[in-house]
Amino acid sequence: MNQQELKDRLAEIKDKLIDIQQPLDDRIFLSCEAENAYAINKFLFEEVPLRFVITTGIDSDSCYEILYHYAYDQIGYIITLKAFIRDRENPSIESIAPFLPGAEWIEREIHDLLGIEFRNHPNMRRLILADDWPEGVYPLRKETRQ
Amino acid sequence: MSWRMWALKKSVWVFHVNLGACNNCDIEIVNLLTPRYDVERFGIKLVGSPRHADALLVTGVGTRQAIIRFRQVYSQTPKPCVVFLMGACACGTGIFHAGYHVEGPIDKILREMDPNAIIAYVPGCPPKPEAMISGVVKTLSAI
Repeated sequence: MNQQELKDRLAEIKDKLIDIQQPLDDRIFLSCEAENAYAINKFLFEEVPLRFVITTGIDSDSCYEILYHYAYDQIGYIITLKAFIRDRENPSIESIAPFLPGAEWIEREIHDLLGIEFRNHPNMRRLILADDWPEGVYPLRKETRQ
Repeated sequence: MSWRMWALKKSVWVFHVNLGACNNCDIEIVNLLTPRYDVERFGIKLVGSPRHADALLVTGVGTRQAIIRFRQVYSQTPKPCVVFLMGACACGTGIFHAGYHVEGPIDKILREMDPNAIIAYVPGCPPKPEAMISGVVKTLSAI
């Protein structure tokens, strides 16, 4: 699959996306609302298919962002899907671990550090915080200051 | 010099404690024990239990999770013992100062537990094996 075919595949999910950006030749950013993230991830991982790299979480000013990074190794592209979680009180997003077991631990880590609820996660236990760390305190949130 | 101190300095057996280090200092400590530096020729030997140790080689910043274990390890080490703080993180808190997972400078926690603790600092990120040997030699000639 060459560049044009990859772009055509990505255009199939255009109605679920907010926008598509390509700041560099081999870097594509897709953005979407949190509700559509599960379906888009399933499409990217199972239909295109892309190689899953990692998930990252950011506490932005107005929302939480979950970034799913994928690689397309045949032509060396990195594709990032940004999912915006607008609800700052009870942030939650559908887990992608049921069809992508490699995402299980990073979702547990994001849950520990940012307090984002991953719905339907198969094994949501504490991963990296200390055993005596208090519940409900999320160290990488902007309102958490020492 | 008490006979205990005299006995301590003869052949120092060390126990290695990692309190959340990035593994860089740990690699240099392992380097000390392998044939290139081979500190066993000076009688410095790595042991598997703090109860057999004369000195603790502490690396890492002292995370909230690890410091509980460090208190147990220090209380199990026969006294007198020397605590070598290896690397910038263990000496102060280094770049992790005020991190959410940092319990505090290890020397401060050690002083709270035991005001008479013998503490030696070997700074560096990581300290060279030569610096570690030099630190041990200077400490043992000072006490």
